[in-house]
Amino acid sequence: MGVRRSSFRNALTLSLGLALAGRASGQEPGVRLTYRLRVMAAHAGDTIEIAHAEVAGPLDTDLRLHLAADSAEVDALLSVLPEPDSLTLDGQFLSRRNVGRSRHGLPVWTEDQYQRAARMGWGRAVRVLPFGRARSGGRALWLLATVDRTAGVGATRPTETVEVVEPDVVFTAEAVARPRRATVTLTLERGDTVSAPRVADLVPDGPPRAIDFSRGTGAATMLQVALAYPEPPPPGRDRVLARGADEVCLRVNDPAGQAPARVICGRLNNVARGVPLAGGDTLFVTFAWPGAR
Amino acid sequence: MDEHAEWRARIGAAADGELSLPEQAALARHVAGCAACAGAWASALEVRAAMARSAGAPGARTVPRRRLGRSARRIVVVLLIVGGVIAGWLARDWWGVAADVPVEDGRAAIVVP
Repeated sequence: MGVRRSSFRNALTLSLGLALAGRASGQEPGVRLTYRLRVMAAHAGDTIEIAHAEVAGPLDTDLRLHLAADSAEVDALLSVLPEPDSLTLDGQFLSRRNVGRSRHGLPVWTEDQYQRAARMGWGRAVRVLPFGRARSGGRALWLLATVDRTAGVGATRPTETVEVVEPDVVFTAEAVARPRRATVTLTLERGDTVSAPRVADLVPDGPPRAIDFSRGTGAATMLQVALAYPEPPPPGRDRVLARGADEVCLRVNDPAGQAPARVICGRLNNVARGVPLAGGDTLFVTFAWPGAR
Repeated sequence: MDEHAEWRARIGAAADGELSLPEQAALARHVAGCAACAGAWASALEVRAAMARSAGAPGARTVPRRRLGRSARRIVVVLLIVGGVIAGWLARDWWGVAADVPVEDGRAAIVVP
């Protein structure tokens, strides 16, 4: 009996470890995660949909939402721990509630941070009560959340669609996915001379890569670049909501010079960022989600 | 030192039996026209009576003070209640109000049907 119990415990530990490992890497081939949210409200004895969103991405994609109505607002980061027949929906919530006015007539808010989790089936809807079970004067609002797995084709870039029907309600939903690789476009400039753009597909924390830049005058410049994840934000709201998850940093090193390495950070699919180098050159970098493989 | 402080010092001495007869007469004349000094004299005597009683003197008795009547007590209680309500109202305006729902009831929940 003791042997059976021990083997059962070992199997449970192994399966949990495998599930967590799969969650951590998010590299289950050909599977994408899709969150569907419908914001519902009670209206004249009926139920109406006032907003909806759909967010899809790799298996380790999280969803960051913001909902504000009446005298309360909530930010949440929803994540999924997938299992073969079900999933655990985990939510980190940050609530703000207006509780009155100060002696200067300014609104007074209380802030709260907590975690909620529930086990649910794939494709089954759960009801998320963003402002709790109490109705403090405002009308009843709730979300119907569904998480599903769909077959993908190796795309790493998350997608998101949000539509708000009722303008009184502020609702946003964003995909939170950490890039496992990034397409980096580099351009070297000096004065009016610009090199041809060089494109590199880099993996964070991967080995450095040498990039040659030629500006048409015959002189070539070689730089060593390496991609890395930025430092996590300090403990607090930004870390809970995983802000900056789609940010990467490029470490630029000139092997010929003695200058220290330069680091430039930016979000994917954002504006180009420039970093001055020793010798008068300026390197412009653009980070982007890579295309589907 | 003002005039009353000087008389209060003499009151202490009189309660201890340290004043001569002319000094006692002068003090009695002043106390007859000074309510504050009369109260001070009564207090000095009460303190000594209490100390004598605690020391076991059988004849020592404290002087009974005037007590509030029933109607006066009612008025005081009503005034205290009204004052408390007004103070609470002012404090509510001053510091704001607490949340009208328990913290846990205002927190988000995930409900699986």
